[in-house]
Amino acid sequence: METAVIIVLLVIALALFFDFTNGFHDTANAMATPIATGALKPKVAVLLAASLNLVGAFLSTEVSKTISHGIIQEDQIEPLAFLPIIFAGLIGAITWNMLTWLLGLPSSSSHALFGGLIGATLVGASVTAIDFGVVLSKVVLPALIAPFTAGVIAFLLTRLAYAMTRRYDNKPDGRDGFRWGQIFTSSLVALAHGTNDAQKTMGVITLALIMAGLQDGAHADPQLWVIFACAFTIALGTYMGGWRIIRTLGKGLTDVKPAQGFSAESSTAATILASSALGFALSTTQVASGSVIGSGLGRRGSTVRWRTVGRIAIGWLLTLPASGAVGAFAALLVVLFGGWGIAIDAVLAVAIILALFWRSRRNQVDSSNAMSEVADSGLAVKVKRNPPPTRRQRAILREQARRKAEQEAREKAERKAKAKADARQAADDKRARDKVRAAGKPGTGPAAPPVDLPGAPKGDEK
Amino acid sequence: MNVSIDWLAFLQVFGAALAAGTVVVAFYALGLRMLVRAGRAPVVAPAEFTDAITVITEKEARRAAKAAAKAARKSPLTDGQKRVALVAAYASFFLCGLAVLGGLLLIIFGH
Repeated sequence: METAVIIVLLVIALALFFDFTNGFHDTANAMATPIATGALKPKVAVLLAASLNLVGAFLSTEVSKTISHGIIQEDQIEPLAFLPIIFAGLIGAITWNMLTWLLGLPSSSSHALFGGLIGATLVGASVTAIDFGVVLSKVVLPALIAPFTAGVIAFLLTRLAYAMTRRYDNKPDGRDGFRWGQIFTSSLVALAHGTNDAQKTMGVITLALIMAGLQDGAHADPQLWVIFACAFTIALGTYMGGWRIIRTLGKGLTDVKPAQGFSAESSTAATILASSALGFALSTTQVASGSVIGSGLGRRGSTVRWRTVGRIAIGWLLTLPASGAVGAFAALLVVLFGGWGIAIDAVLAVAIILALFWRSRRNQVDSSNAMSEVADSGLAVKVKRNPPPTRRQRAILREQARRKAEQEAREKAERKAKAKADARQAADDKRARDKVRAAGKPGTGPAAPPVDLPGAPKGDEK
Repeated sequence: MNVSIDWLAFLQVFGAALAAGTVVVAFYALGLRMLVRAGRAPVVAPAEFTDAITVITEKEARRAAKAAAKAARKSPLTDGQKRVALVAAYASFFLCGLAVLGGLLLIIFGH
């Protein structure tokens, strides 16, 4: 039992470390768009993200239940023997998470966690220990569907936001006001992040407590101290992660307009919150990325850079099996060497973490390795600086061109008629002068009275 | 191995997220539209002009403020009409906030 307690303590420490890296990694995801549009000062954004992550962690426990009471079939495993497997799974998750973060590869903390747990269980326990129905319906499928869902919603919302505020008279459209709105929507994203991501760690710790017999398996709700510990750790990680944003100041971010950012954040928050309520363990990074791509496409004159999309998608697809492989390797060490395997795992984990940390200190932090995947996905959409006109704008332009052409034709006709009239007038005048001159030549008396010439314009006709 | 997938749940998430997002964006956009109608087109310069801000420069922000003031002066609406538009704008923002709060309460107490 003592060994079990030690392993539980190790699992809790490692899980909280994972929670910290999760918050550290994801601050940028929640706050990338409001910083890009200038809705919030970077320092304020980081503080807001940390506070709301803390609050969000207390809102719901559905995702935590999915992990602690859904993925693993408790009746198929030996509880105490399963504790080292959870430990191995966490090592897989943290290693992969830190490696991708350092290399600047698109990844997801959540998928790294699931991959690590599943890989370790497959090797350390058995295939039957995993409920593939739950894994498919609550982890794999949401992972594949959620970014598309968020993208489609963000696309539609961006169209709606632009259509409702569009003006055709070139007067101010008030779209700047979406910057105010972004303060609220980005706060909602941070809150949603807390409801989904903090709970994953709660789920893992609760699972370990159940396995060690320290919590009743029938009640999968996380204990209050677990909720507090996870909430504060993710908030601390989020706050500490902010220095990267402040240092990089969002360099490399795409051209995100306030209306677009507002729609993307609304879509991200709505998708994550709705999923959290149903217990779907999503990757907030992927949902936020999907929203940024969708909202970019919602702007006029945008095209997709498929190569960037492909790179991001491959990174996403790779996360689950790759972290699974690392988790499986860690579990294999436990299976082969028992207690020594756990020690080797622990030493390896510390060594990897220290090595990666040292490496990250050595490297200059810049946009290529420190900015979020969300920023990366913004680059997947190319938006023209001068977008083509909408259908109504085209109709207005056509109407303007028609009126202009009509006006020009009318002016031309008037000019022609005037010239003709002037020429006729000049000719008549000349003829009249000639006549007068001819009539006045024979006599020397006063000039003859003017002759009423046919065709000459009369005074009252003018 | 019994693999059962609740496809309806995915549709629920999509429907709920789309509906919630539409309500929030529509009311907020309507509020902005009404503010513009009331002659108070919001000109919100970025909180800080960091390197990330590629959408607007300080000069452009000043120009936008001038254009908004000019448009407000030339508005053909009467004072009464402007007041109605302003009330409608605040009502829209309030409804938007109410929708968000309602959604959150539904998540917290719905389960």
